[in-house]
Amino acid sequence: MNITVEGSEEYGNSIYGELFDRILIDLGLANRIEDVKMIIEPEKPLFLISVRMRQARTAVKVSDICSITPREGNTYMVINNESYAPALLALLWKQFGRDRIEQLTRLEVLTHGIPPEKLQDLTLDPGEELKKEVLDAIWRLLPEGFKTRHNLYSEKVMTIASTEHDMKPEFVKLAESVHQEMVAGRDLSGMETKVEDEEEEDEGGEP
Amino acid sequence: MYEVLMFDGGVYRINELFELVEDIGGFVIQKTQIQVMISITIAIPAEDRPAIEAKTRELGGKLIEVPLAGTEIAVVGPTLGRHHMPHPICDIAEHLRRYGAITVVMGLARGKGRQTAQITADEQAFIEEYDAAVFVLGNFKDCIMKEKIRLFEHIEIPVTVVCGPEITGLPNCEALVCGIGRKVERMRHAEEIAKLEETAQAVQDIVAVKKMEIDEDPLYVHPAEVKQRIENLEPVKQSLRPAPIVLHLNGLRVKVPFEETRELLSGVDVFGRRLGDISIISPSRLGGSTMIRILTKSQVASKDAKAAPPIGPKAEA
Repeated sequence: MNITVEGSEEYGNSIYGELFDRILIDLGLANRIEDVKMIIEPEKPLFLISVRMRQARTAVKVSDICSITPREGNTYMVINNESYAPALLALLWKQFGRDRIEQLTRLEVLTHGIPPEKLQDLTLDPGEELKKEVLDAIWRLLPEGFKTRHNLYSEKVMTIASTEHDMKPEFVKLAESVHQEMVAGRDLSGMETKVEDEEEEDEGGEP
Repeated sequence: MYEVLMFDGGVYRINELFELVEDIGGFVIQKTQIQVMISITIAIPAEDRPAIEAKTRELGGKLIEVPLAGTEIAVVGPTLGRHHMPHPICDIAEHLRRYGAITVVMGLARGKGRQTAQITADEQAFIEEYDAAVFVLGNFKDCIMKEKIRLFEHIEIPVTVVCGPEITGLPNCEALVCGIGRKVERMRHAEEIAKLEETAQAVQDIVAVKKMEIDEDPLYVHPAEVKQRIENLEPVKQSLRPAPIVLHLNGLRVKVPFEETRELLSGVDVFGRRLGDISIISPSRLGGSTMIRILTKSQVASKDAKAAPPIGPKAEA
């Protein structure tokens, strides 16, 4: 993961780079983010962050991740891949309501009055989940008082410009240009971030 | 000047220590006994410390420095949001407690942002009830120097500011500690602990200055003496709040409702005087609490002079 911070204050830039790295590690997102660019200009005031995510897992059909068996008008499901369990349950609750979904054990689910045909073709999209988690990480980082925001989204990149009072056209333009740069993908081969350097040093220092 | 120390040892012959403290004109601030072990926080005249040290050696105990004992300190953050809490505000508060202070963590209602950051008169009055305040700010010099200084501009108690960037000087504060900015994890590395130590030292220094100022015109009685006299009152004994009596440098906070107990507190006898005559008893902004501000000797003398009937030829006429 590469984190670049530009701005008028060197100390604040380095701290915010470390902060975001720490937040991503806490949320278990460090290996799902490819590139981060921040522009911090406290005197304007402007806080801009653009995050490029790695490819999320592709959408899967429910029939691919669990075995589905009809049982007296109901459907009995056994989840094969546990990592999908929370997303599957959330999807079932949303589609059919909590009353009709009974979780028998950690990996067994009984759906009341729902035929298997209705369940087989449902799909789970982990990409949406990832976006939500990344957004949560960004909320944790954004200065609390910067309530005026301009958001730009594309499939893999999320850019948020925030300020305290008016969102000036120059901020929006800058956000758009950074967003385009991140969508196109920056050449990271020559970049060495502080965070990566530190990790390398740590590894080298171990006996 | 009084010095506050903590004795840690056994209960065997402990009465000898109590008698010595009384003989040299000191006070017991707090006493905690756990089976045969006892820790006692005492306030003693600084010049008599060798006598206490000798007695401690004789009893096989040890003396611990608690320079902030008998103080209540507010650690203030811009808001209670997760951007500022729990680190580093709670880390600083916890570290100050190790030096004997009672600490209170608070967040302002609208302290976030730059130009929008503000402190209300109510919050200011609330903070001023404490002996000292620590304001914990962020990472950007421009933001701190231009905007955030307004937060503690009119605070009348000593203020220590803690912030991230290196700043040579900041107006409106008595001490400045740089190198602690926004954090999302506990301050547990060696250099971070050194910064916590630096913060504690800065607070100790400003508290020491305040103590010296108080010594120039000493209080009529030491707050610990008032504590001894009011801790056995029924409403105080019934208070279930932690630390129902908190010592301040120039008074006490008693966690009992003002309206219901003002008469009782005013009538407490202190060296033949009513407590109400030698102190100002007022409601605390902290709900259900009462503040007792002890008057200085000169204030009491001046109050007595005003109250006494006039003497001399005019009076006789």
